[in-house]
Amino acid sequence: MTVALKLTDMETALIDQLPQDAPLRAVLSEHGLPHRRVEEWKWTDLRTVVGKLPAEPGVLTFTISREPDAWAEQDEEPSLLMPRLASALGEDIQVYTLEDGERLELGLEASSGVSNQQVLVLVPEGVKAELVESYAVEPDGFANLTLVIVVMPGAELDRVIEQHASPDAALVVTSLIDLAPGAKLNQTTLGFGAKLARLETHVSHAGEGAELQLDGAYVLDEGLHLDQTSLVRHEGPNGVTKELFKGAAARGAKGVFQGKIHVEQAAQKTDAQMQHRGLLLDDKAEIDAKPELEIYADDVVCAHGNAFGALDEDALFYMRQRGLPESKARALLTQSFLAEPIERIRDEDDRERLLARLMVGLEALS
Amino acid sequence: MPAVKETIEDVRQLESDKYKYGFTTEIEQERAPKGLSEDTVRFISAKKGEPEWLLEWRLEAFKRWTQMKEPDWAKVGYPPIDYQEAYYYAAPKDAAKYKSLDEVPQELLDTYKKLGIPLKEAEVLLGVEGAEASAAEARNEGSQRKVAVDAVFDSVSVATTFKEELKKAGVIFMPISEAVHEHPELIKKYLGSVVPVTDNFFATLNSAVFSDGSFVYVPKGVRCPMELSTYFRINAEGTGQFERTLIVADEGAYVSYLEGCTAPMRDENQLHAAVVELVALDDAEIKYSTVQNWWPGDSDGKGGVYNFVTKRADCRGRNSKVSWTQVETGSAITWKYPSCVLKGDNSQGEFYSIAVTNGRQQADTGTKMIHLGRNTKSRIISKGISAGKSDQTYRGLVSVHGKAEGARNFTQCDSLLIGDTCGAHTVPYIECKTPKATLEHEATTSKLSEEQLFYARQRGLDEESAVALLVNGFCREVLQELPMEFAVEAQALLKVSLEGSVG
Repeated sequence: MTVALKLTDMETALIDQLPQDAPLRAVLSEHGLPHRRVEEWKWTDLRTVVGKLPAEPGVLTFTISREPDAWAEQDEEPSLLMPRLASALGEDIQVYTLEDGERLELGLEASSGVSNQQVLVLVPEGVKAELVESYAVEPDGFANLTLVIVVMPGAELDRVIEQHASPDAALVVTSLIDLAPGAKLNQTTLGFGAKLARLETHVSHAGEGAELQLDGAYVLDEGLHLDQTSLVRHEGPNGVTKELFKGAAARGAKGVFQGKIHVEQAAQKTDAQMQHRGLLLDDKAEIDAKPELEIYADDVVCAHGNAFGALDEDALFYMRQRGLPESKARALLTQSFLAEPIERIRDEDDRERLLARLMVGLEALS
Repeated sequence: MPAVKETIEDVRQLESDKYKYGFTTEIEQERAPKGLSEDTVRFISAKKGEPEWLLEWRLEAFKRWTQMKEPDWAKVGYPPIDYQEAYYYAAPKDAAKYKSLDEVPQELLDTYKKLGIPLKEAEVLLGVEGAEASAAEARNEGSQRKVAVDAVFDSVSVATTFKEELKKAGVIFMPISEAVHEHPELIKKYLGSVVPVTDNFFATLNSAVFSDGSFVYVPKGVRCPMELSTYFRINAEGTGQFERTLIVADEGAYVSYLEGCTAPMRDENQLHAAVVELVALDDAEIKYSTVQNWWPGDSDGKGGVYNFVTKRADCRGRNSKVSWTQVETGSAITWKYPSCVLKGDNSQGEFYSIAVTNGRQQADTGTKMIHLGRNTKSRIISKGISAGKSDQTYRGLVSVHGKAEGARNFTQCDSLLIGDTCGAHTVPYIECKTPKATLEHEATTSKLSEEQLFYARQRGLDEESAVALLVNGFCREVLQELPMEFAVEAQALLKVSLEGSVG
């Protein structure tokens, strides 16, 4: 029983911009943009939200610490729909090759309307570098960005992402990461959500001593939505993955955590841990989680944990007894709960900056 | 543990033949014509002499089914099922009452013997006149714990034991086909009220063609005096079994229900699409235990049962409680998610599961806990063991709605991998819409500890026994939830299911 899809104005506009012979045209016409009937987008109905946004082209403003090293054309089409769209409709790919000790700042602001872009970041062998990103979308904007990041053997990358609250806007950032043998990536995201925001991270984890730390914190207020989805694919032996996500939602906001760790048969001795904890601050908020394990190797240690709840009443009581007003006690407890992933940022300046941002976000809640 | 000695005995017995239930009973079968159409549905309904409303209900289901798509989201793979190639009804010919045991076909008697059902009870199951009383006596003399049995042989419920004794307590326990005639008001009220006709592809198929099953009604304030039990057995070639179980525990009632399943070895795949509905009213409690040991197919993945089952409990009343315990070792493919809808305030749902897959078995199983009422509690303990070339997925949903203040869930899913050619997956969905709930989920995947194995072998256990011992330890939280009768069998089953998985 397949019912023909009635395309939204947004979808029609996107299709019209695609070349006549692009296979993506047929895909979009048949399936539309991702929606809640698509398993991976169950809690993030992109189609409905962007269907109500204006479809005219938007403008992307980059605030970059330096010019790209090159502009490249796409040679191989990505397989996921959103990166495909970014590749087909965005300008040429911005390519950055990081140097040892470099800190690349990449600020992106999208205006109203639709914008697509792809960025490629290369971290050559043995190089240690930092990538600091920030994202904001103006009302009525729909930004779809794809970052391809290649961390070559023995290289180390510290990635810090701040996603600014963007009401009445939609944002999809897809990161496609290659983590080579012996490479390290520490990624931390602080997100405040949008009308709909999805930060999706895919990591091909080669193992062989490669280490991944994938962390995130979110504070969502006033009906904002943030989806942090990740897929880590362990392809070689002796890989390590540590994930820690924590978030709070209030006043009609919705937090989504989807994390999947896939361990291939060759990836023996993988050590993968994933934790997500959600705090619902009032009875209008919602948090959904799907922590997944898919394991084909037997000699592994893999675990995930998920917990939802309210603040510890005993701790609250104790703090009030010590003379703290209730609102202050709540704020302190929430702050200490959410700060944990941020405190794992290795760069002190970034850590302090994001902790301060977290405080500002929390103050707005009370 | 006192059961250990018995377990060792049982294991020894089971070891001699890997799948002891793999026999066929050669008796005459009465079948519906091959294939599925409105006529098949009418044929089944007519065979059962059903009232018009039930026929309409079935036809409605059939109509819906023809418009539905087979689900493909589970992590199982199998060639497309040709629903027109199966028989949807097979009854042992002439299921009428026998005057005495002498008249019962020897083949049928042998079947019961192989299933391990005492002769006295077999008499009752076969419907030998006057047998019920004597079976009850026999059991009482031995002062054993009593278990009333309803056996579903292919599509037809053959008979129910201890009917009289249960009647005294006011408990109704009978084939659902009889209940339709004797208690139409209860059937009308509850059938399809937990799993609606249109619920899902397999449940809808079941609604259209279900042939028999058990019906239990425990009246207000009654604690069912014995364990109730059902044996399911698919026997005839090319038949599907579509049994339907409906259990209603009225206010303050308690019932414990056991379900055992076996099927003979066959080359082709047999389809099993059952529906189980449980209704627990105020202060009622239902404990539902399953040992599922359908034929899993041979080591090349040939044959075996496709077990596509919909099981759901509706905790309608305040303080009601439903507990699902399952030991799943059989079937080529398992697609099964016993669930609890926690509507009543303070209601509780529990799910304890052990699933073992070996050879080329595939299992996608788990539970759903839907918290609707206040202070509802749920607990999920799932232990999955994958060996051989099998694949196993825990798939579960914990959903807490906005009004479910004070809801509490604890979930633990542990997977054990034996060998590097199998897969173990965990796919939990957790949804929370109230700040006044506490939900915890933990999952781990690991392999058998070499050190523990080494230690056990040093103490003189051979490798397979050592593995069985460790696996039993891994599963103990679930095993201890099983009623005594099943715990022993389950422990033995675990070992047999894992045979050939090490070395």
